[in-house]
Order: sequence, then structure tokens, then C-alpha cells
Amino acid sequence: MITGTGIVKTFKQRGKVLGARDVQALRGVDFAIPRGGAASFIGESGCGKTTLGRIIAGLETYDEGEILIDGVAMSSLRHKQRQPHFRKIQLIHQDPYSALNPTRTIHQTLYAPLSLRAKQTGRPGSWIEERAAEVLTLVGLDPGTVLSRYPHQLSGGMRQRVVIARALTVDPEMLVADEAVSMIDVSLRLGILALLKDLRERLGVSVLFITHDVATARYIGDDGELYVIYRGQVVERGAVDTVIADPVHPYTQALLSAIPVLHGLEQPGEEPVVPLESLDESQADEGCLFARRCPFRGERCTSERPLLQLTEGVPQEHACFYPERRSVIARPMSEV
Amino acid sequence: MSVLLESSSTSAAMRRNFWRGVWRVMKRKPSRLVGAVLMAGFVFMGAFGPMFYPDQLPRDPGQITRPPSWEHWLGTDDQGRDVIALVVTGSRYVLLAALVTAVITVVVGTGIGLFSGFKRGRWDTVLMRLTDMKLTIPGLPLLLVLSTVWKFSSAVQMGLVLGLLSWGGVARAVRSQTLSLRERGFIEAARGLGLSTSHIVGKELLPSMAPYIAMNMLIAITGGVYSQVGLFFLGVLPYESNNWGQMLNTAVFRSGALTVPSALGFLLGPLLAILLLTLAIVLVVDAMDEIFNPRLREE
Amino acid sequence: MAKQAPGVRIDGLTVVYKTPAGELPAVRDVTLTLEPGTITGIVGESGSGKSTMALSLLNAVQPPGRIAAGSVEIDGLGDVVGLRGEELRKARGKHIGYVFQAAQNSLNPLKTVGKQLLDLGRSHGVDDLRGLVREAKELLGRMGLDGARVLDSHQHELSGGMRQRVGIMLALVLNAHLVVLDEPTTALDMITQANILKIVREVHAERGLTTLVITHDIGVVAEVADRLAVMYGGRLVEQGPTRHVLGAPRHPYTRGLIRAIPRLVGDIAEAQALPGRPPTLATVPKEGCVFRERCPLRMDVCDTVDPEAHADGARAVACHAVTVKEHA
Repeated sequence: MITGTGIVKTFKQRGKVLGARDVQALRGVDFAIPRGGAASFIGESGCGKTTLGRIIAGLETYDEGEILIDGVAMSSLRHKQRQPHFRKIQLIHQDPYSALNPTRTIHQTLYAPLSLRAKQTGRPGSWIEERAAEVLTLVGLDPGTVLSRYPHQLSGGMRQRVVIARALTVDPEMLVADEAVSMIDVSLRLGILALLKDLRERLGVSVLFITHDVATARYIGDDGELYVIYRGQVVERGAVDTVIADPVHPYTQALLSAIPVLHGLEQPGEEPVVPLESLDESQADEGCLFARRCPFRGERCTSERPLLQLTEGVPQEHACFYPERRSVIARPMSEV
Repeated sequence: MSVLLESSSTSAAMRRNFWRGVWRVMKRKPSRLVGAVLMAGFVFMGAFGPMFYPDQLPRDPGQITRPPSWEHWLGTDDQGRDVIALVVTGSRYVLLAALVTAVITVVVGTGIGLFSGFKRGRWDTVLMRLTDMKLTIPGLPLLLVLSTVWKFSSAVQMGLVLGLLSWGGVARAVRSQTLSLRERGFIEAARGLGLSTSHIVGKELLPSMAPYIAMNMLIAITGGVYSQVGLFFLGVLPYESNNWGQMLNTAVFRSGALTVPSALGFLLGPLLAILLLTLAIVLVVDAMDEIFNPRLREE
Repeated sequence: MAKQAPGVRIDGLTVVYKTPAGELPAVRDVTLTLEPGTITGIVGESGSGKSTMALSLLNAVQPPGRIAAGSVEIDGLGDVVGLRGEELRKARGKHIGYVFQAAQNSLNPLKTVGKQLLDLGRSHGVDDLRGLVREAKELLGRMGLDGARVLDSHQHELSGGMRQRVGIMLALVLNAHLVVLDEPTTALDMITQANILKIVREVHAERGLTTLVITHDIGVVAEVADRLAVMYGGRLVEQGPTRHVLGAPRHPYTRGLIRAIPRLVGDIAEAQALPGRPPTLATVPKEGCVFRERCPLRMDVCDTVDPEAHADGARAVACHAVTVKEHA
């Protein structure tokens, strides 16, 4: 179980004298991902979802809040002591081309973490080779052909599988997949998504999926939770299918309305929501963060910040004073 | 035990593959082969050349400052010694000093650059200020001052001083390379997997920079040759041992090679040696990128 | 606006790239007609030849590539493949506007947008530069931007979506009526993407353009295009009206591609990955069907004979299995 409460991260810009301002990447985010569970962070670029993913993977520090990994509070530990805890959480990079060292073969790439693992657990050296073949088989690659190759000899999809295999060498509890399929050919994306789903089911690894593509978030697991993040704040949170089918926050609705409709196969939603202005980070931080772009804003919205909460009649948590269901997503022709 | 054997045999196979790749890269352009052959020639000359000659080269009083002839291909010097013999016996000092210079430049430069770029923060600031300060020290004047104290009779001493004067540029360049590489996914992944710093630096960062470091090393060799030859040519160091700079100095200032045609061979000998060495290095540097990049190596 | 939306007829186009293994075709024998005033979308994965094909519309394939066969007839210009030098340079920009892949990064970081606009005008011998600026402001205003402010800005002062709009403005400002957009929304957010696509559609209609959109994302084509062409391994495997192709895809690749898109509703298990992987220039089969390695309908004939495109009304499919079924 990995939980976070009130995570705040501010990127301080240098040269404050010249009026540079701090960027609030995260404004107090809570999350909880149970063992073997799934969660997705969705939002536009710059909303803080990648920063949050990196914080969870231990690659970035945070200013306030607390992260608990299996009940151990990270802030109580020193840097060196945190390391073994964060190792349970492995980040899968977006770019499979830079995630593997071009000068090392796949064998070398897997050997290093495995020999470390063997040392820690007191396993014999023969275990390393066996395990290397095992993790490659797990991700659907043939060890015989892949082990001796260099990364450039593999396709994008195969590289991403190797990256996942490398993460599995340390027996992680959770994989954080940051836009893990966006740089892979369309016809192969689903294969990687299916692999992540499969690892969840077979190994009980939980998966945190970070994406701007809501539909892929759904593929990871319909029992998972969806977090919609806007400008460093979670604005809606709930079961994946609930949030997609019946979103109540106008931002979520705008995001879902923007998904292209496959005309000929699908019928567009009846009440698409189009935000008023484009995202402007420099707007004032008073009131609701989405108020300036919200077509449904009321008076309260510009003076008071709504917090993520449950209200009556709405199954999911949301941060909106005027939650209302709207039919925004496209539906298959056959259903209409 | 069997595992140990297995992993050592795979690494032996990898090494074999590496050298096969190097051969492929060298074959790709004839110029690289020429460079490599020239370089091997110089190594042989520096290592074994002097053994073919007696400690005191024979002097021929009847053949003082002669132009090239069948007997002496590049003529003779002002004491009647064969110029080729002088070039060969002088090469050991020059090449050894240049090699020491290059090794020190690269080891110190890479070490400081890597450490600085990888640690960042306070260490980085301190080390880079130090490097900047070092870079502002003008090399030649300092050498001139030092030469009044030291005689540089041994090549290692010479290389040591030159090396300690020239690592600044490499340090800066390696640091910036490190800074950009450390943001790459594979370094981040290595940190996330909990791999040791020595693994990350030695096995992930260094191999990625290998072509760059090798190139710097080769170029530092030419730098080392130029500076010491320059020092001896200027005559600021006393005549202690035979070397190319010393020859140039004698040819120009004592035999008047710039005006006397018969001393031309005397001047040409060391010049030709320096030229060929530079050429060899330039031709080989061209292959470095392809040798250390597995993709380019195989294509 | 005296000019009319031009029609484009691409006939038997083959583009080859010189490699150590000989000349390999990136685009092979593609025949495609862009009707005047329509938006056509070309969909393909990496290595499908879609970008090379778009470049040949400008006759801008760079060595080691060259157009080996075929013609590209554009109304009012003639066969572009035959154009050379100055003629070609003038045609680009004036007749054909091109919005490059990653247009967000193709602006000069050292010059303001306005300066780049004037450079463009001068290099095309525009006399009325004031008029050009007026036109640019109008276009930018049309796309929801403050024209004067944008022209005074440097690249870094604009967001990704704004840069993309500037790219579209630069492609249209010389009054080109044939516009090629290469991956217009890659690296943009969902909401920005939706905005850009809306703008493409509206500007297309208002200015009377013929538009070609190149993308890997079927959703983008579904949103904007009237006609859809699917490319695979350098071949055009299926084309037809977007709604028809999406509603009832015929080529096994098109079917697989559509099935591989995760959906927002319905059974997620319905989405299936296509087995295998797309071919590269070096691995495209020399003979027979390019898709057969991944094809569920593979027959013996597919190994030896490259299927020809069979037209059926507004649609065309290049697949032996589909043809056999129809004639049975």
C-alpha cells in the first residue's frame, strides 16, 4: 500500500530579483494505491502529474506532505534509508529510446540490478542468469534472441518491454508508467498496455498509469481509480468507469469532450464542454483554479477554492461547487 | 564455478566482438588504416627504436651538416650525426612525455568533470571555480618560469607538468557531458534500481563518454608534443637529452637551416616526424565515434 | 480570393531511398486523388511512408531519397515532379502551404514571428508587405489569437498550441489553396488538439482549401477528414470516405488498427493489439503483400503477388482476401 497526504511541490526559479516566480506544481495532493491495485493520473501537460509520479518513484523531493510506503513514513527516514523503500516503486519512462543505455547489451542491463538483488537476498550466481531469462519471458520476449542484443537492434515496443523487464528485476510492488505508450506505434500500444495489465493480475504488482489519454487509463484496469489533475490539484477522483461515464467536474468534462470522435463508429456526446480560454499559468490563484476557463462558473468560484470532497448524490470525489452530470463522451453507434 | 566460467566466457566473446567491430570500423575508410599504421610505427619507434642505435651516435667529421644523400637519407647534423638516427633516438623522450601529458590530462580532467557533474551542488561550484582559476593561468609563461627551476631531464617529469597544466578544458567539457547524460532515462533508472554510484559512473556514464574521452586523449597527445617541442625549440631548457625540439633549435639557430640549404634535412627530420604524428592522430580520431558506439560499429 | 481549391492527382508514385542494401522504396506505386475542397487524411505508423508521400507533393524529398516514378498533378501547377529550382520554390508557399511535423519547434528562436513573416513575404516577392501583415493578423485573429501581440513575440513566448497556429498562419498567408499538415497535433494536449482540429476544419471551409492531413492517430483523421487513406509499408492499402472506412473497414490492417484503439465505453476486452510489428524500410517484403506477416486472412497468393487496389465506388482496398470474398 502506498499512500500520500498533502503532497506539495513548488519549483523555485532562480534569479528572483528579476521577478521570476515560483511554480506551484502540486498543491496538496492525496492518493492511495493498494497493493495490486491500479490508479491513473490524467491531465494536461504541466498539470503536475509527471512530477507526482516522479515523487512517488523517489526521483524527486517534495516540500510538504507525507508518503507512506507499506506504512513507513518517508519523511522520518534519512535519504539513504529511504532508498530501499523507493526501490519497491519503479518508474517506466515515456521514452524507451533514452531509458536504455545504448552502449550496454540487454544482458548487461539486466545483470547489474540482478546481481545486486542476488547479493541482498543471498542467492547464488546461477540465479542471475535464470532470473534474467525469466523476467524477459514474463514481458513476452524470447531471452535467447534478446539477451545478446544492443538496444538499437530492438524496436520501440521491444525496448519498452525490456524497460519493464528491468524494473521487474528488483521485485517491485508498483510500476509507475509515465505516458509509457505515447512513443510507441499505434498498433503495438495495446500490447504494452495488456502486458501491464497482465503483470498486475499475475504478479500482483500495482500499476500507476500517468497519461493524457483517458481511454488508455481505462485499459489498465476497470477496478482502478482515476485522478483528474488540474494545475497541481486533484479535481475529481473515483472509479475509472464512473468518472468517465458520469464526470461531474467541468474540467473533466472538457477533457473528455476533447477526445476525437470516431465518426462512423461513434456518436458524439450531447453536451460537450469547451473551456473558455486556453490554459494560462499566470492567472491569479484565488478561488477555483479552473474558474477562468469554466463555462459554468458561479459567483462563489472566483473567491473560494473548492476542495476535493464527497457530496450527496455523487459517487466520486470532486472539487466543484456546482457538480452536475453531463453526457460528454462519444458512444458507439450500436448503443444509440 | 561453472557460472563464473560462463560469465567470463561471455565477456571474452564480447571482447572478441568488440575488436571485430573495431576492425570493421577501421576498414571502412583507408585513411583510418593509414593513421593506425602510422601510429603503430611511432609507438614502435618510441619503444624499440633507440635500441637499434648505440648510446653515443657515431659522428662523421667529414659529413657535417650535409643535405640528404644515399648514405644519410635526411642528411647530417652539425656534429656529423645521421638525422634519422637522431629523430628515432629522440622520439622516446617526446612520445613518452606526450603520453604522460595525455594520460594526466584525461584522468584528472575526466575525474574532476565526472565528479563535479554527478555530485552537483557545492562540490560542483568549488571544483568548477578551481577549474576556472586554473584555466586563467597562462601555460607558456608559467612553463618558462618553471624551467628556470627545473631541468625537465626526465620525460615523465615533463609530461607531469604539462599534464597538470592542461586538464581544465577536458574537465569542463566532461562536466557538461555528465550533466546532460545524468538526465537521461537510463541513468535515472539505474538510480531508481538502487545501483551503486560506482556502477553508475563506471559502467553507465563512462562508456557513454568513451569516444569523447578517447578523442580528447589523442588530441592531448598532439598538444603535449607541441608544447614540449616548443619549449626546447625556444631554448629555454638546457641541452640535456636528445629530442625533436632540441634538434629544431640547433638546426635553426646554430646551423641556420632557414638560410643554408645544406641544413634543410636537419630541419626537415623532426618537422616531418611531428607532421606525421599529427596526421596519424587526426586520421584515427575520425574513427573514435564509430568504435565506441555499438550501432555505428556494426553497420 | 480568385483562386479555387485545386485538385491533386497522385498517380503511380514511387519514392526510393538509397541505402547500403540498394534502393529501397519508402512509397510504392501510390495512386490517390484529392478532390478540390476536401480534407483528406493519411493514416500510417512509423515507416509507412506517409511523411515521404507528403513531401513528394512539394517535390521536396531529400537525398538519399528520390521520386523514382509516377506523377503528382496539381491544378494550376501541372506535374510537380517535373518542376525544378526557382519554379519549385515559388510553388511552395504560394500554391502549397506546408505545416511541418513539430511545427511548434520550427520557428526561428532568434526572430519575432513578424520578422519571419516579412522574410517569407520578401523571399516570395510580395510587394504589399503591409497587406501581408494585415492578412496574417486577420488569420491569427480568426484562430483566436491576438495578431499584433503574436507577431511581436518570439517563439519561446508562445505556447505549443499558439505555435501550431502560427505554423498554420505561415502556411496560409501567401494565399495557398493546397495545405499539407504533417502530424498537426502531436505533442499537444487533448484540449489544445481539439481546438486546433476545429480551427483546421473552419479555416478549410472559409478559405476554400484542399487539405491533406498526415497523422498516426486515427482519431485526428476521424475528427477532420472527409476522406481517409491508410498506408502501410509504403503502400496505400485502403481509402474511402472517412465514415464508411471507420464504420466498415475492409482491409485487415485497417480493421486491426481500429480494433487496437482503447475506447471510453463498452467492453475493454474488445480492444486487441495487432500481432507483430510494422516493417521498416529494410524489412518491407520485396514481393507479395506488405501486410501478410501480421495478417489473419493470409493466403498463398499473398506471398508472391502484391494485391492491386480494387475500386468499389468511392472506396478502394488492396487485399487479395477481400477481393476474393467479393467475387465469390
